[in-house]
Amino acid sequence: MERAVPLAVPLGQAEVFQALQRLHMTIFSQSVSPCGKFLAAGNNYGQIAVFSLSAALSSEAKEESKKPVVTFQAHDGPVYSMVSTDRHLLSAGDGEVKAWLWVEMLKKPPYRTSLEVPEINALLLIPKENSLLLAGGDCQLHVMDLETGTFTRALRGHTDYIHCLALRERSPEVLSGGEDGAVRLWDLRNSKEVQTIEVYKHEECSRPHNGRWIGCLATDSDWMVCGGGPALTLWHLRSSTPTTIFPMRAPQKHVTFYQDLILSAGQGCCVNQWQLSGELKAQVPGSSPGLLSLSLNQQPTAPECKVLTAAGNSCRVDVFTNLGYRAFSLSF
Amino acid sequence: MGAVTDDEVIRKRLLIDGDGAGDDRRINLLVKSFIKWCNSGSQEEGYTQYQRMLSTLSQCEFSMGKTLLVYDMNLREMENYEKIYKEIECSIAGAHEKIAECKKQILQAKRIRKNRQEYDALAKVIQHHPDRHETLKELEALGKELEHLSHIKESVEDKLELRRKQFHVLLSTIHELQQTLESK
Repeated sequence: MERAVPLAVPLGQAEVFQALQRLHMTIFSQSVSPCGKFLAAGNNYGQIAVFSLSAALSSEAKEESKKPVVTFQAHDGPVYSMVSTDRHLLSAGDGEVKAWLWVEMLKKPPYRTSLEVPEINALLLIPKENSLLLAGGDCQLHVMDLETGTFTRALRGHTDYIHCLALRERSPEVLSGGEDGAVRLWDLRNSKEVQTIEVYKHEECSRPHNGRWIGCLATDSDWMVCGGGPALTLWHLRSSTPTTIFPMRAPQKHVTFYQDLILSAGQGCCVNQWQLSGELKAQVPGSSPGLLSLSLNQQPTAPECKVLTAAGNSCRVDVFTNLGYRAFSLSF
Repeated sequence: MGAVTDDEVIRKRLLIDGDGAGDDRRINLLVKSFIKWCNSGSQEEGYTQYQRMLSTLSQCEFSMGKTLLVYDMNLREMENYEKIYKEIECSIAGAHEKIAECKKQILQAKRIRKNRQEYDALAKVIQHHPDRHETLKELEALGKELEHLSHIKESVEDKLELRRKQFHVLLSTIHELQQTLESK
């Protein structure tokens, strides 16, 4: 890879640097504000940009509405995951979690905490207990109480780092998937591992040439979708059986349930829509060569901003107003 | 003040009949012919002039009547349009409600479809396993065979015991006989 060689003309060096930065940007995480009108995106340089969805979606949107309302340096390292509570935006990177007030984005974070977790890949809010679950490079799930900021428990069981978390709402269980190829279900009340599903051991879905890592998880109380190294599969949790395998060759990095569909995105540039029977309903191309996160804005306070946003290996966030096509892209 | 109203008057007159051919001209002609008739000499000429004036007057009245009818027609058209406008507004509101209704129905239908697909997925998995009745029957048959075989085993063992006892009796009698023969 070539280094940026400074040109003889000093003018424009900053622009060159900025352009190079935008070229190599990866957006790792997204989060919607509690009012539903703003979207925050975090990238690999540690910056967080806040976009105004209501301005970009309105009928008088200009080019400037697709640029961030505010951008600031949040962390020293990449911002791997973000999640929103009623008033705060929580962002996590390499070893620290910071909380920012949505109302006053530019001020210093009112709360920050450091933990020796190397990369916090996933954050999960548990509203019933008002706590935050962190999981990342040290193979454990840490539970942090949001009111006091202390770490209450650590759930151990994974043998390699954890990629993704999901909350099973009816029974308060958490699912975690990681590099060791196993999806583990933890009961929050007694902090024990309830069930383990070793995805790579099932012949129908394992793809040894891709590895055994679980990159994405989503759950719908009785059902779970997971993918990554093994093929994207729908599991029935009670019987731990794989029911449908989605024929997608590229490993998927993010998956979510939506109405009667399963939306997934990964190494290809498209957002895939699957039906539960395994059929591909639609493949909508985005503007990034690979997608890392999907976010559905379903906040009831802003029904006009109900969009799907996808971001990944570029400086752009694609906005889909109708699941059938890409409406426009916001960019850093 | 007078100048302003004059302007208004001129504007109005130009708007109504700017080209000078029409009712305005006719009225001017009427006024001129009236003056001429008043100053006319002979009886016959006066009479023809009088007839001509009457016909001009009736022409003016006719065009006035036409304009009044057109005005009436315009008023009624306006009412009609108002009515149609209100009806269209009502049907728009009705369509909005129907759309909301249909959206709810779509959500419901999607939920139903999702449930059906989940059911199908589970059913496929279940189909792979053999039928419960058959397995039960097989289990019963195997149980019966097991019983039967254990019965046979019992009877064989009994027979074995019997033979053993009989041999024992035989051997002991032979020994006794041998001992009696040796002691003699």
